[in-house]
Amino acid sequence: MEEKIISKENLLKLCSDLLKNNVDVITPGEKGYVKIKSENEVGLNSKAKHTKASFKEYIFPKSEPIIYYKKNQNEVEIIEPKVEEKTTVIFGAKPCDIRSINILSKIFNWDYKDEFFNVRAKNTVLIGLMCEYADEFCFCTSVNLSPTSTNGSDIFLLPLDENSFAVRIVTEKGTNFLKAYENYLTPGNPEKSKEVEAGVKQPEKVFDAEKVKEWITGNFENEYWNTIGKMCLGCAQCAFVCPVCHCFDIVDEDYNYYEGRRMKNWDGCQFDMFTKHASGHNPRNDQSKRYRQRISHKFKYYPDKFNEILCTGCGRCSRGCPVSVDIKGIVSEIYSKC
Amino acid sequence: MDDVKKIAKELLTSGKVDAVIGYIRYGNDKRTKPFIAQKPEEVENFVINKYILNNLAVYLTRKEVTKLGKIGIIAKGCDVKSIVALIQESQIKREDVYIIGVNCSGVAQDYDIEFSAETIAGKCLSCEVRTPKLFDITIGTIEDIPQGEDKKLKVIRQVEAMKPEERWDFFEEEFDKCIKCYACRQACPLCYCEQCIVDKSIPRWIESSATKRGNFSWNLIRAFHLSGRCIGCNECERVCPMDIPLSLLNRKMAMITKDDFNYVSGMDVNTPTLIGSFDLKDNEDFIE
Repeated sequence: MEEKIISKENLLKLCSDLLKNNVDVITPGEKGYVKIKSENEVGLNSKAKHTKASFKEYIFPKSEPIIYYKKNQNEVEIIEPKVEEKTTVIFGAKPCDIRSINILSKIFNWDYKDEFFNVRAKNTVLIGLMCEYADEFCFCTSVNLSPTSTNGSDIFLLPLDENSFAVRIVTEKGTNFLKAYENYLTPGNPEKSKEVEAGVKQPEKVFDAEKVKEWITGNFENEYWNTIGKMCLGCAQCAFVCPVCHCFDIVDEDYNYYEGRRMKNWDGCQFDMFTKHASGHNPRNDQSKRYRQRISHKFKYYPDKFNEILCTGCGRCSRGCPVSVDIKGIVSEIYSKC
Repeated sequence: MDDVKKIAKELLTSGKVDAVIGYIRYGNDKRTKPFIAQKPEEVENFVINKYILNNLAVYLTRKEVTKLGKIGIIAKGCDVKSIVALIQESQIKREDVYIIGVNCSGVAQDYDIEFSAETIAGKCLSCEVRTPKLFDITIGTIEDIPQGEDKKLKVIRQVEAMKPEERWDFFEEEFDKCIKCYACRQACPLCYCEQCIVDKSIPRWIESSATKRGNFSWNLIRAFHLSGRCIGCNECERVCPMDIPLSLLNRKMAMITKDDFNYVSGMDVNTPTLIGSFDLKDNEDFIE
């Protein structure tokens, strides 16, 4: 992996150039991942707490039209919206957020190729930043990640001191992106960056995901699910702030008798409506069954199908849960039963 | 703190209740989380402190909990108001719940912060139910509440002073953030409908999309459905992952029902609900 150094001053210049060229720059700040207007707003604090929601919204929007339709006499006219081919740079995201892109790509390209996701992903450059924040909800190391993992990043930054960053160029997209900014870069010092990397505090590894998967396989009817089911209130906070939860619902919205649009909206597996059939029958008619699905999808079904854990250990779902249902605690407890 | 364990343990041991909903310490000493104890030995981690933020009354109508049998519940004065409102609205019976009321001197507005005049939950500043209005037993003693500034009331006054267009823009910007996760609904003890209007699809009344129109429809309907009913526990706002100031609407509605109908929700199980007590002499000057 090629490595360079960039001064903070030049990094801000780079950001300013992007903004001048009308590139959308998205960065974590106090109000979450926001599109910034000035390079001074760019989030480069490796010690910052996680934003409440991940940047998922910018690649997989909470609601988007996938078809517009018009009824003319006896015909229906379909108009397919095109996703705008616009470069977006996600600047300074944590490894546990950026990891999501490769996990999501698998589901969105499994049988049907989701153009909406793919066009956005193709036009997004992901610049990761080493993470020096770890609280009791963090568990990236338990899901094969680390605070310095470059998986998903096109370019990865490590702060070397107050005024400079090591720049690890991870992908071809990253190499191409940096071509225009070569004069901002100086030769790298991998020894120093490795030293910085070695000094980063790692969240403790609290479970072995393989063992957890085995337990889930043999315990579909375990009483343990009821202990969580009675506490969970059944909202979708966890799913919607999650970097990798990707379920969506498709609904038609009529503007009037003649026109309307078909929407793709985020959906969450803890909703009672999520699996309710038209007949009224609901196979997951109890919160414990719904929570079992959440854990099983993340730690068994997705790994079985795509060889990826559907969790990046960011801990957002637990930090924000109205009743503090804590995924790290739950999976650790499952591990203790293995 | 020992009181709460002793009482909960006794209730479960004697079989007076089948489960006690309470708070347990969680993570550090500035956090708690709800816990439902079904065996006497499960109450060991029960705790009462400045971080018992949840309104546990939300569990009283959840079928995963009602099936456990008779419920004991730890409730602050504000939480008791929602229990009273649930009884007023015939959702639960008084005899089906054993209320361990907490004499409360305020809670923090969030976890992980030092409790002070700056960080006390806004609802506590104007609290009139520090001793709960309804209980089977109470615990704790009342101390002075640190007097901070009622910041939300200030915002309400600012919004009131806005021109209608400005007010529209203000709420449009706030509602734009909504992701339709319905944490506000699920955390609300009075949002107990078996099927929420937003989930009705034959026909669909409210667009489920998190678009401008869908978000406006949802957030306004939510506020309307709670007007004259919301008891001001502020759980909706606390749990909103997008930091939408939902209490502005709920509180303004409560101010209107108090001023126009002299009605405060959740104060007395024998008072009919506001909607259920229509009177020809009701104030009608809001109809123009």
